[in-house]
Amino acid sequence: MPKMKFHKKFQKEKKAHSQKGDVSISRRFFLMASAMAGAMFALPRPARAIKFFKSPVTTNVLRPPGAVPEEIFPSKCIRCGRCVEVCPYKAIRPLDIREGIYAGTPLIFVEEIPCYLCMKCVEVCPTGTLRPIQQKETRMGLAVIDKHACMTWNEELALCRTCYNVCPFKEKAIKLNELRPVVIDDYCTGCGLCVHGCPVTRKDGKKAINVEPIYASRPVKW
Amino acid sequence: MGLSRREFIKRTAALTAASYVGMNLPFTNEDTAHASDADSWHKGTCRLCGSGCRLELGVKNGKAVALRGIPQSRTNMGYLCMKGMLFYKLMGTNHPERFKKPLYRARKTDPFKEISWDEALDIAAREFANAIKKYGNNSVAYYGSGQSLTEETYIFQKVMRGGLKTNNVEGNPRLCMASAVGGYITSFGADEPIGSYSNFERASCFFIIGSNTAEAHPVLFRRIMRRKLDNRDTVKVINADPRVSPTSRIADLHLQFEPGTDLALLNAMAHVIVKEGYYDEDFLNNYAVFRMGKDKKQVGFEEYKKFLEDYTPEKVARLCKGNITPEKIRKAANWFAKSEGTMSLWTMGINQRSRGVWANNLIHNLHILTGQLCRPGADSFSLTGQPNACGGVREGGGLCHILPAHRPVKIDKLRHEVERLWGIPEGRIPPKPGYHTIAMFEAVNQGKIKAIWINCTSPAQSLPNCDKYRKGMKREDVFMIVTDIFPTKTTELANLILPTAFHFEKTGVYGCTERRSQLTVKAVDAPGDAMPEVWIVREWALRLAKELKDPVIKKCVEPFLGKEPDYELPKAIWDEYTQKLTKGRDNDLRGATYEVLEKLPDGVQWPAPTKEWALKGGTDIKFVRGLDPLADKHAKNDLPYQFYGPAHKDRKLWVWLRPMKGPEEMPDSEYPFYLSTGRIIDHWHTSSMTGRIKELMRANPYAYVEVNPKDAEKLGIKPGDMVEVVSRRGKNILPAKVYVGPCEGMVFVYWHDQDEDRMINRVTKDAFDPGSKEPEFKICACRIRKVSGPKPLKPFLVHMKS
Repeated sequence: MPKMKFHKKFQKEKKAHSQKGDVSISRRFFLMASAMAGAMFALPRPARAIKFFKSPVTTNVLRPPGAVPEEIFPSKCIRCGRCVEVCPYKAIRPLDIREGIYAGTPLIFVEEIPCYLCMKCVEVCPTGTLRPIQQKETRMGLAVIDKHACMTWNEELALCRTCYNVCPFKEKAIKLNELRPVVIDDYCTGCGLCVHGCPVTRKDGKKAINVEPIYASRPVKW
Repeated sequence: MGLSRREFIKRTAALTAASYVGMNLPFTNEDTAHASDADSWHKGTCRLCGSGCRLELGVKNGKAVALRGIPQSRTNMGYLCMKGMLFYKLMGTNHPERFKKPLYRARKTDPFKEISWDEALDIAAREFANAIKKYGNNSVAYYGSGQSLTEETYIFQKVMRGGLKTNNVEGNPRLCMASAVGGYITSFGADEPIGSYSNFERASCFFIIGSNTAEAHPVLFRRIMRRKLDNRDTVKVINADPRVSPTSRIADLHLQFEPGTDLALLNAMAHVIVKEGYYDEDFLNNYAVFRMGKDKKQVGFEEYKKFLEDYTPEKVARLCKGNITPEKIRKAANWFAKSEGTMSLWTMGINQRSRGVWANNLIHNLHILTGQLCRPGADSFSLTGQPNACGGVREGGGLCHILPAHRPVKIDKLRHEVERLWGIPEGRIPPKPGYHTIAMFEAVNQGKIKAIWINCTSPAQSLPNCDKYRKGMKREDVFMIVTDIFPTKTTELANLILPTAFHFEKTGVYGCTERRSQLTVKAVDAPGDAMPEVWIVREWALRLAKELKDPVIKKCVEPFLGKEPDYELPKAIWDEYTQKLTKGRDNDLRGATYEVLEKLPDGVQWPAPTKEWALKGGTDIKFVRGLDPLADKHAKNDLPYQFYGPAHKDRKLWVWLRPMKGPEEMPDSEYPFYLSTGRIIDHWHTSSMTGRIKELMRANPYAYVEVNPKDAEKLGIKPGDMVEVVSRRGKNILPAKVYVGPCEGMVFVYWHDQDEDRMINRVTKDAFDPGSKEPEFKICACRIRKVSGPKPLKPFLVHMKS
């Protein structure tokens, strides 16, 4: 899929160039340049310089279950798109050309569509980039409650426990401490259902509970 | 690739620290920012659920911007749940989908077109008048709601009964608390609980049966939980429910019985209480008699003991299955009887049964036997589901068999009293009760009802076995008027949709579970041409009077002519209802005038016969001399408790001998599972309101079926798989949640979803209690099977086709 897109774009730009006529550039240079340009324009200014090699994994933007650390992810993933295809909830999305060396790798934006932990993607991954793990072993990240934004923690008189209600490991991963939600890191899979459900949106667009991909940056023991 | 424990802790700590740094960043949420900006705050009551939380609406430039709790309120102490905090998003111009103009179509297949109020009211009056002329007075009906204001229910039923000479006045409270009414009247002689929420802080044993308080009444649950957590060792919580619910979390003892065996369980507890001598002999001698059968035959204690011999804990434990053991029953009975004050709480798990009244009676029996009544913390307390089911419908005369202020239609003296108070000729109100809900929609199916007015509710989704009744509502010869604020499954079948003002866009009183009446005064304007129902009914009645050439119809609304509809009109209706109709009745509200209600941070609990008493907040506990002015007034002897309820002439509490009776439909080899339904915290009823609040819809976008892990394993169902739930009446296809909630052999579905595939009332059974006529939503037989793997589902709401 991403490959196709890129191809079309390439042909389009080639056409534009050939109309101008007199400039001749090598295929390799053109490829590099258009990719870079594409990446640059799509990004906010400060990010432009570093985004090309920077992992797109960040708060609430996570790899599918069982993913190997980010350090080796782009080299291990062959961008076959099987996980994208098999995901019944259309939660997994392939990255496009703007993401530099990470283009084509799968990502879950849990705030939009969370992972329902059906574990289909880990079964189909041909390279072991998504390791074949059990549902409860999934560690896409760790949910962190922003106690200053969370209604139940912040405003003393609000009763909300949406994150607790939607958690697939209710009473294990999220518990209620006198009606206030608490995340237990031993069990949190980082599926992001709580993020998706959270009714509070902060000014910066994040929720009162967010999944931090703390496991993605684990160093690889070679 | 492993992560050492040390490193993990380090990272977690760093993250937590990072979240604290956020303190200095402008991370306030959007709504709080709005809240601090509001120009003015207006007191009112929450629009959802029966808790009666008191709150304030923040208004800025005529627009509703926030809601917050009122800490001085005795119901919620300032706490609100997410529904209560967010429903301002539906007010005024905040939501684009609100109905703004009357919509009409002659045929139910045509598209709607906008018309003026004049045309709309003419059509409404003409259709009702034509039906009456051609088919008689009982060919028209009103189906109301426990969410209408008391004034609305009162004026609707006044015009229907006094004006149109029919008792076809019903309401959706028939589906939720009719059994509780039956229970209170047959056991205590007077409707509605004896005590109040204040018992939460005084009780030392909670017996929660058939109620998921944590989700259905979250704000009240907080009070129960607080009481339990502050007194971990002394306060006991018993939760009896076939399903492990969030409420069970705080329970010391969870009695998980098989659905439909509740009557046996309650009788077994009574057995233990009698056998072990836990009963209060003085209380029984002074205040109680034993009765049985349809003819209310009085029997002795000995006979009751004999009756209970059949319900030994050993025998009942075998019947109840689940996790019930004789020891658990004994322990529950011991805690119940021996505590300083035991409070029972229940809702639909008890009421929505084919023997709902009996189940209610059996709970009251335990309280009467042990004397756990009228004392601080001791109460048999039925929680209500809707904000004004008690105040508007139970007290305001919104059901086919009752007139305002707890007057049964059948009693000539009381009926004539109402006619006299209304100033209409005697004999105007027919002596026979009208159709109850299921019978009413059955009559619609049969074409006996030609014109029906559905106000503020969506029976097309909320009736059990709703496909059957939607057929009738689809009939072209049934003219349907629907008053609502948003498109629903019912407006889809309407001929005429009248846009109404929402909460805080009109003035009126809500009466919550604990006999408390609370006033909400208009704070924002309704969008477009939407009008308060009281105005709609008044104008409609005037036109009806002309069409039918009947001056008595006009007489019904005469006291309200010329009043401005936002405040004066509801006030005049409230004054007539309280000053004239409740005078001398057990729900005396004469002290609770608008002036008094506006002065108090919360409301007034009846009986409140005088303004002075009302200003103190009214009556906390009924029937106790010194605490209830009517108990002193009606006192016949020196005893501290005076059970003056109008239904029991002997002024006694009645202990009923009610045998075990199973549900109407039991699982069999074809349909081997029990199906139960319920409410989820984020949504309310048919989600026509909560579904339009995006935060709530996100939290719970669609209904799902809860399956016990053991059953799921047998059937090969994995979490998220699409599962077909089929009964003899219909089927649903929903995603599965594999979860130790329902007991083995039982599945549970939430009923709020409007999608045809996930609307569980297409599957439920329309059997009903022969006494209260309340349907048995909670139990029917079904079979389940996996149809496919997980599928992406979208939330669904009915929208207007333009």
